[in-house]
Amino acid sequence: MALDIETLVDLYRDMWLIRAFEFGLEREFKKGNVPGMLHTGVGQEATQAALAAHLKATDAFFPDHRCHGINALAEEKHQGDGERIMAELFGRATGVCSGKGGSLHSANPKVGNFGDNAVEGSYMATVLGVALAFQMRGQPNVACCIIGDGTVGRGEFHESLNMAAIWKLPVFYACVNNGYAISTPVGKAHASADIVDLARGYGFPCEQVDGNDIEAAYEAVQKAVEHIRAGQGPYFLEFKTWRWQGIFSGEFRPPEEVRYWKEERDPIKLARQKILERGSLSAADLDRIEAEVKAQIEEWIEFAKASPPPDPAKATADVYVGW
Amino acid sequence: MTQTAVRMRTFVQALNEALDLAMERDPHVYLIGEDIGEMGGDFGVTRGLWAKYGEARVRDTPLSEAAIIGTAVGSAMMGFRPVAEIMFADFLGECYDQLVNNAAKMHYMFDGQFKAPIVVRTACGGGFGGGPHHSQSVEGWFLNVPGLVIVAPSTPADAKGLLLASIENDNPILFLEHKALYRIKGEVPEGYYTTPLRKAAVVREGKDVTIVAAMKMVHEALAAAAELEQEGVSAEVIDLRTIRPYDAETVVGSVRKTGRAVVVNEAPKIGGLASELSALIGEECFYDLKAPVVRVAGLDAPIPFSLALEKIILPDKEKVIEGVRSVMK
Ligand SMILES: Cc1ncc(C[n+]2csc(CCOP(=O)(O)OP(=O)(O)O)c2C)c(N)n1
Ligand SMILES: [Mg+2]
Repeated sequence: MALDIETLVDLYRDMWLIRAFEFGLEREFKKGNVPGMLHTGVGQEATQAALAAHLKATDAFFPDHRCHGINALAEEKHQGDGERIMAELFGRATGVCSGKGGSLHSANPKVGNFGDNAVEGSYMATVLGVALAFQMRGQPNVACCIIGDGTVGRGEFHESLNMAAIWKLPVFYACVNNGYAISTPVGKAHASADIVDLARGYGFPCEQVDGNDIEAAYEAVQKAVEHIRAGQGPYFLEFKTWRWQGIFSGEFRPPEEVRYWKEERDPIKLARQKILERGSLSAADLDRIEAEVKAQIEEWIEFAKASPPPDPAKATADVYVGW
Repeated sequence: MTQTAVRMRTFVQALNEALDLAMERDPHVYLIGEDIGEMGGDFGVTRGLWAKYGEARVRDTPLSEAAIIGTAVGSAMMGFRPVAEIMFADFLGECYDQLVNNAAKMHYMFDGQFKAPIVVRTACGGGFGGGPHHSQSVEGWFLNVPGLVIVAPSTPADAKGLLLASIENDNPILFLEHKALYRIKGEVPEGYYTTPLRKAAVVREGKDVTIVAAMKMVHEALAAAAELEQEGVSAEVIDLRTIRPYDAETVVGSVRKTGRAVVVNEAPKIGGLASELSALIGEECFYDLKAPVVRVAGLDAPIPFSLALEKIILPDKEKVIEGVRSVMK
């Protein structure tokens, strides 16, 4: 089933926002303006935009280390201030966590962002409790955890899927299989290169989708969240995709593989073709959308740079609640 | 204050009463752990609560320690007040990440936007032939973790009051229950009351030496103090009650008065609670000290199965007496 053109164009814009955010961030990182470590979501924009489109502020999601774009979209959609994610990554007072969390720990409960945990996949356990809270209150909300293929190696993967299954919890496992964990290929790290095979034994619906096809990803996420909101228990969705970033900045993958994914499977390029084939928008229209989003990201970067560092009192504030 | 009846209760009964009262009072309190439901827990602490509150609020789980604590933390982020049971403290390694990297840091790293008011009850300590994986004193594993609270009662009355205070508190709390104390009896007030966190108790006053301890070691220290009295030594005994953040003021005040300190801890000496307290006293009371601080702690070895060997490893009344004699010289 084809998506309506408005939705498709909105998603196209969101995908560009993710990419522009990451490219802008990478540029500033290389200039030394962004401290710490940087993992980007470039190449995975269709997967990320599809997830962001279906998650409500009243849902809960645990973003992974490549989810700056989802975090910014959630912020923009529900609070109208995506620049606070950028400021957080710059470690500034105006960030969503006043600069105390950074790239790997940006959170804002008001938009359903329950925060990344840089111990990859620890929130596979935490998500159970959020889901249990929804269940105990009878709320039709989704508790989503976004996990990489490598993260599936954690023991918590089993503990989580098993407990979500026995308690029929409203957990949405969004597994982003981009082929590698740092340098380790998925087929070498797991008993199956299709992660969905590992999940099937728990007895709840498990699907695989082309994570670079925005229409397919959008519809797959829709089906998943509808299932969960209807109180039918957990859902596992594996997105087959590929990240443009190699190991940090170095490339280690075969040149042909890199060419294939960047040229033939670029999710933004694929979406652009789809829109143009529909005929109602021109290439110039799409270029304008792209330019607008890029300008907006530059504004966010300027905002972040102009923001002050956190108040020194923050260094020891909030270690304990109330003490 | 209303007059409440005081009854004789075991440590286990006191904990059970606390859980019951907390669940009765606050619908957000629920219990989660292995075999805590119909069976009532390995040590009987949750007995009767499954029948009274149902399986939605007394939740049996598989052997999934990370998922137990993860569930507790996630639901606490949503406003619940879970009390989790980890059957033996030795298993805390299985959920260490959830406690240390998630629960303890969450309020800080997310700039106060989330809190994780969980209580993790667990049975710790040796002396009964439990062997290397059912006998450890684990407070040292968590001593270096800002954001975490470690509570460690030594009497039934405190077990109840401190557990209720812990459930009311908004911080993640590791609640240590020494297995050797589960069957001891003591006076326990009826009804709901809390015992303050971060407040040590001077359980025996004295003027020659301060003995600082927690949990079972408080009883060893008190027994030692009673014997030392026959030798003319007046020992003050402090029950720390909250191990992190601890009540430095009470410890320092006492040592300034007595001029001598023996710190007792069941865990190995290196990097443990005894070492931390010894460092505190060295820093704060150096010029008041008449003798170097002595640490009476577990030997630097795992805990063996044989009772004859275990006795060599763990501190007891005799070792506390020896420690006090050495500072009195
Ligand atoms: C528990 C844990 N182990 C190792 C790491 C170091 N680490 C960071 S990212 C990463 C790879 C994760 O791979 P994957 O889940 O596939 O995500 P991707 O980076 O491919 O998106 C590793 C090993 C970590 N952060 N946490
Ligand atoms: Mg990967």
